[in-house]
Amino acid sequence: MKSKNNGKDFGIFALPGIFFFLAVVMVPFVYGAYLTLTDWNGVSNVKNFVAFKNFGGVVKDAQFWTSLLLTFRYVILVVVIVNILAFAIAYLLTRGMKGQNFFRAGFFTPNLIGGIVLGYIWQFVFSRVFVSIGESTGWSLFEVSWLSDPTNAFIALVVVSVWQLSGYMILIYVAGFMGLNADVMEAASIDGASGFTKLKNIIIPLMMPSFTICLFLTLSRAFMVYDVNLSLTAGAPYGTTEMAAMHVYEKAFTSRQFGVGQAEALILFVIVAILSGIQVYMTKKREVEA
Amino acid sequence: MSKKALRKRLALGLAPILLVASLTGCRFGFASDPDDPNADKQEVVIDTSTDTFEYDASLKGTSITLLNTKAEIQVALEKVSKQFEEKSGVHVEVMPVTDGDSPYTKMISLYNSGNPPTLAILDTTDVLALAKEKAVDLTGEAWTKEAQGYLTELDGAVYSFPLCVEGRGVIYNQAVIEAALGEKFDPESITTLNEFITLLDKLAANGIERPVSMAKEDWSLGAHQLQYLYETYDGTSEGAQEAIEAIKAGKLDLHSYNRMSDFLNMFDTLKKYNVAVKDPLGADYDEMAIDLVDGKTAFWFNGNWAWPNLAEAGAEESDVYGFLPYFMNNDPGDFVNQKVQASPSKQIMLDGQIATAQQQAAGKAFLNWLVYSEIGQQMLVKTCNLIPPFTNNPYEPADPLSRDIYQKVHDGKAFNSSAIVPNDHWSALGAAMQKYLVDRSDREELMASIQSYWDEQK
Repeated sequence: MKSKNNGKDFGIFALPGIFFFLAVVMVPFVYGAYLTLTDWNGVSNVKNFVAFKNFGGVVKDAQFWTSLLLTFRYVILVVVIVNILAFAIAYLLTRGMKGQNFFRAGFFTPNLIGGIVLGYIWQFVFSRVFVSIGESTGWSLFEVSWLSDPTNAFIALVVVSVWQLSGYMILIYVAGFMGLNADVMEAASIDGASGFTKLKNIIIPLMMPSFTICLFLTLSRAFMVYDVNLSLTAGAPYGTTEMAAMHVYEKAFTSRQFGVGQAEALILFVIVAILSGIQVYMTKKREVEA
Repeated sequence: MSKKALRKRLALGLAPILLVASLTGCRFGFASDPDDPNADKQEVVIDTSTDTFEYDASLKGTSITLLNTKAEIQVALEKVSKQFEEKSGVHVEVMPVTDGDSPYTKMISLYNSGNPPTLAILDTTDVLALAKEKAVDLTGEAWTKEAQGYLTELDGAVYSFPLCVEGRGVIYNQAVIEAALGEKFDPESITTLNEFITLLDKLAANGIERPVSMAKEDWSLGAHQLQYLYETYDGTSEGAQEAIEAIKAGKLDLHSYNRMSDFLNMFDTLKKYNVAVKDPLGADYDEMAIDLVDGKTAFWFNGNWAWPNLAEAGAEESDVYGFLPYFMNNDPGDFVNQKVQASPSKQIMLDGQIATAQQQAAGKAFLNWLVYSEIGQQMLVKTCNLIPPFTNNPYEPADPLSRDIYQKVHDGKAFNSSAIVPNDHWSALGAAMQKYLVDRSDREELMASIQSYWDEQK
C-alpha cells in the first residue's frame, strides 16, 4: 500500500545508507574501473587514456596467473576444510555436552584476533616454536621452518586460515543446529532414521541456509586473503606463496604499475563475484522448509 | 569407548591446542617490543652555546611538515625539530611512516589527499620518480658545494638534499675473532677472497664452526648484495648506470661479465659458512645481531644502520666492530677488495606543488640549518647518529659501525657508487636470490632471471 509518508520514510531510512554506499563503494569502484584505462602512476597530474593496454599488461604478467592459480588451490582447500571442520565441531557442540559454551567461546577466539597479529603469532610458532621442538625431539617434520619451503609454507597458510575462519563458521552452524525443529527430529527418529541417514536426509537439507552463508563467507574471504598472507609469509619463500590480492598490491605499489595492478584487481573482482554468485544461487536452490 | 565420550575427547583435545598456540605466541613474541631502537638510548648532550647561523625573522610562525621514513631516527628528529623551532620560530612537524607503509605509498596518498609534506625523506629512486613534477629545484642552494660527489642529479638539476651516507659490507666483531684465534686481528691484512676464506677456515677450526650470518630478507639479498653487480662495474654511480644500460641493451652478457662470477664467488662463500646453512630462509634478523655480539658468529653482512640492532643485543660503543670489503676475487689491487661501498642513501625532497613560498623558504632554511648551524651539525651527527655527506661538518659519529664508515670515507677506503634501479628490483630479484641461496636454482637460472628482469624494463 502506498502512502504519502513513503517518500519521507525512504529519505530517513534509506538515503543515508545509499549515500555512504555510493560514496565508499560505488564511486571508488567506478573510478577504479576508469583508471584501468589510463596510464596514471598514482601521483602525477596528467592521466593519458590508453584504452585496454593495461589489460594487455595483465595477460603478459605471468606471475599474476601463477598467483591466481595458487589462490584457487588455496580457496578450495580452505573452503572445504573450514566448512567440514566447522560443521563437525558445531555438531559436537550442540549435543548438550558439559561445558559446550566454553568450547564455543574457545573456538571463536581466533576470529577475534586480527589477521596481521595472527600471522605474526603463527610466524613465531612455525619458525621458532616448531623448530625448537624439532631440535629437541629430532622429528624431521619440524627440523626446518615450514615457512622456508614452498609447499610447507602454503600448508602453513591454509592451516592458519582454517584456524582463524573455523570459529566464525562454527558459530553460524551452531545457530543452524539450534534452529532445527525438535518435532521434525523426533518424527525422523520415530520413522527409524538414525545417524547418517538423519544427517543426510533431514539435517543437511534443513541447514541449507547456514551452508549458503558459510560458503559465501569463506569463499569471498579466502579469495581476498591479504593480511595473513602478508604477515605470515609475505610471499616467501621466493615469491611462491604470493596470493592474488597481494600480487595486485605489489604490482601497483612496489612495481608502480598502477594501471596494470588496478586491472588485475578488477579481474579478481569479476572472478570472485561470478563464483560467489553461482554458489549462492546453487545453495539457495537447495534450501527447503520443514 | 562410547560415541559421546569420543566426541567429548575430540572437542576437549582441540580447544586447548588452539588456545595454547595463541598464548605462547603472546608471551614470547609480544610481551615487549624488542625492535624499538629508541627504547633506551642515552641522552647525548648538544652544545648550544655557539651558533653563528643567521635566522630569517620573517619566517617566524611558519609551520612545515617533514615526512620521516627512517623509523630509527624518529625520536631524534623530533628533538632536532624542537631545537630548530626554539631558535628560528619555525615549527617542523615530524610525521612518521609506520612499518607497514612504504614511503612511496605514503607519499602517493598524501599527494592525492592534497596534503603532501613540505619536506620528505625518501630513497633516491622515489625522489627521481617524483622530482620533475613535484619537487623544488635546489641546484642553487649553498650546501650543494659542501656535498660535492654526493648529490643526485636529474637532467643537470639537484632536487634533493643528501641526508646521510650509509655504507655496507661484511661486519666483523674484532673481540670474537681475536678470542678464537688467540692473536691480534688486523682487518687490513685480509686483501683477497682466498685470504678471507682462509680466515673463515681458521675460525671454523677454532670453534666458530660457521662464522657468517646473512639475512634472508629480499631487500638484503636483492638490493644490498646483488647490487654489487652494478656498483662494482667501475666503482662510480655513473659506471653502475652504464652497466645497467648495457645489461638492458644486451651488450653486457652476464655470462662473460666478470663481476657476475666475482659476485657469485663471494656470495657462495658467505653461503657456505652461513650459520643458518641448514635453513637459510628460516634465519631470523634479530638473532643475527645477537649471534654476532655473543660470538656465535664473527661476521654479518649488513650496513652501518644495523647498529641499533647490535646495541639492542648488548654491544657497547666501546667495542670494536668494523667492515671488511665484499671480497670478489683474488686480485689485491682490485678496488672491490680494498674498499667498502658507501653512498648517500636517504634524500630530502622539498615540495614545490602545494607548499606556499613561505613554507618553501622555511624548508630551505631548515636544510641550511642542518648544514651550517653548529647546533644543526651536531644534532645530525650526535642526536640522529648519521654520517653527514657535508665536508664542513666537523663532528664524528659515535657508534663503531658509523665511525668505521666515516673513517673509511675520509681515508679514501670507500667507493661511492649507488645503482639506481627500478623500485621492484629488490623484491623481484630478491626472490631469485632467495631461490639461489637455498640451492633451488643454479647460477644459470639466476643469471637468466636477472637478464629477463632487465629485458622487461625496456
